[in-house]
Amino acid sequence: MMETIMELQDVWKIYRMGEVEVPALKGISVKIKKGDFVAIIGASGSGKSTMMNLIGCLDIPSRGNIYLKSQDISSLGESDLASFRGRTIGFIFQQYNLIQSMSAFENVMLPLEFLEYNDQKAATRTREILTLVGLGDKMHHRPTQLSGGQQQRVSIARSLVSDPEIILADEPTGALDSVTGREVLDMLRRLWEEQGKTIIMVTHDLNLAKYAHTRIELKDGEILKISENNEVNKK
Amino acid sequence: MKLKKCSKHAFNMVLHSKLRSWLTITGIVIGVAAVIAIVSIGDGMQQTLNAQLNTLGGDIVTISPGAERGGGMFGMRGGGGGGGSSGPQATTKEIVLGRSDLQALKGLSDIALIDTNIRGSVNISYFGKTGKVSVTGVDQKVWSQITTSTIQTGRTLDSADQNVIVIGGNLASSYFDQPIGINKMVTINSAAFRVVGILDDQTTSVYMPIQMAYQVIPDKTTDIYDTLVVKIKDQNQLDASISNIQDKLMISRHVTQNKMDFSVTSRKEMQQARAATMNSMSTFLLAIAAVSLIVGSIGIANTMFTSVLEKTKEIGIMKAIGARNQDILLIFLFNAAFIGLVGGILGIILGTMLSGFMPALMGGLPMARGTAIVTLNSITMALSVSVSVGILAGIIPAYQASKLKPVDALRYE
Repeated sequence: MMETIMELQDVWKIYRMGEVEVPALKGISVKIKKGDFVAIIGASGSGKSTMMNLIGCLDIPSRGNIYLKSQDISSLGESDLASFRGRTIGFIFQQYNLIQSMSAFENVMLPLEFLEYNDQKAATRTREILTLVGLGDKMHHRPTQLSGGQQQRVSIARSLVSDPEIILADEPTGALDSVTGREVLDMLRRLWEEQGKTIIMVTHDLNLAKYAHTRIELKDGEILKISENNEVNKK
Repeated sequence: MKLKKCSKHAFNMVLHSKLRSWLTITGIVIGVAAVIAIVSIGDGMQQTLNAQLNTLGGDIVTISPGAERGGGMFGMRGGGGGGGSSGPQATTKEIVLGRSDLQALKGLSDIALIDTNIRGSVNISYFGKTGKVSVTGVDQKVWSQITTSTIQTGRTLDSADQNVIVIGGNLASSYFDQPIGINKMVTINSAAFRVVGILDDQTTSVYMPIQMAYQVIPDKTTDIYDTLVVKIKDQNQLDASISNIQDKLMISRHVTQNKMDFSVTSRKEMQQARAATMNSMSTFLLAIAAVSLIVGSIGIANTMFTSVLEKTKEIGIMKAIGARNQDILLIFLFNAAFIGLVGGILGIILGTMLSGFMPALMGGLPMARGTAIVTLNSITMALSVSVSVGILAGIIPAYQASKLKPVDALRYE
């Protein structure tokens, strides 16, 4: 049986709009297994972005607990949480979220700098990863000099560089055309299959969800259904 | 993140917001340049004064009639010039220095030499041209040993001299159409004098034996002196010697401490008074320069706040990929410090250039004559001040940046 890498226990996230409290997540409980490919799906306003922020340790729940590798994230201070996040989770954003003033190489190396890697090791690792995503010849290009697909590949490289166990992808193909989108999904799939990464993908697109092994459907801040797609299995 | 990396990212931030950073840097440049220029002029004047203090007879004491400190340079004789005065002692109206004072001082073991002086304004003619200059009658037997002036050409006054004078450099070279050379004859209040020496200075002074001065300066009475210039034996005992002189004169003049009708001033005191005036002037100017530095620092704070706003999303990205609060804090603090440092360095360069011109611009002010000196001290001070100003101005924006929640920062557009 696969070990649990992340667990949400009765997680609530409540936003305060003036006098009114608006619950975005209402008592979510779910376990994510290590090495799984999970799609969190739901319509706009279903709470999937809130859930992604919590799973990504970018935010803490109003109530309930989130355990990442058995560590209660609410118990960590901001700096410890940042380092823990940096080591454990790699982010892929819809809008790539690259730093415009830095080259592809600098963007990808940045997480290693925050984790205080040795300069030489960091540079070697960065080159390896950029080559892996097929950007070995565009390392010193700035984001503005790259296409959308290439930027997303830089973003994927950045998410992989510190060798995290979890890759958290927020609408990873949302800004790409269908062909490039498919390439990105294939890349995620290979990471899942070949490198054993836990992939958590947040999307509103049911077609993308087909790539995932486990589907968590959200509606109005609650889990509607958790299903496994047995057609999607590691080869 | 390591400090080296933080500073690298901070430097990149400066490079990537060129115009705004340079505008902010300009503010600091002006502030630092002003401080450097003013401090260097202050240091220059201080050094000139110190040099004067060391060379211009720290062992010379001037005694003048009248209670005002340093007063009576040109005599403080009341009652219409005292032409009818019968003796050296003060009458009810006149306060003068006379032979009895001189005799009293001669009995003091502290004193090496005493020069008796009288001063006045006279008409001087040379080759048909006439002007008005100040003449000092000196005791030619001791003058050469007491005076701080040096002879450029010719000789000083001799004990046997009668109708001879020593003149200031300016009077010799440019006061009249034709320069006055050695052994030339000039007419002073109808009496003819031969020039025997020219001083190495830029004055129009005339020095002559005191006996001759009594004849040419109007309203002067023999054995009444405007000042007594005393050279004391031991410069290190200056204060004690001044005190002894005062005591001796109080006895001879029958006055008490409260009613002292003369003043004893040392050159050192005069220079110190001048230095004090100059110091307050420098402080005042420095305060004005400091204001521009404060304005510059507000500029840095403003730029940093704008930069934090502009980079909110980037801060969110950095935090998402593992940046800790202190990493963000350091990057922004280094950014502010860089602005301060670059501003400081450019300010020092500009300030040094300015300080070269300033003495010329301030030439009219006698205190400003001299060279401006940019010392290592003022450079270190300017650099540390500009960097500190940068860091201080950057603290709040940097703290604000470091405290941004990653989820909020990522959402910022």
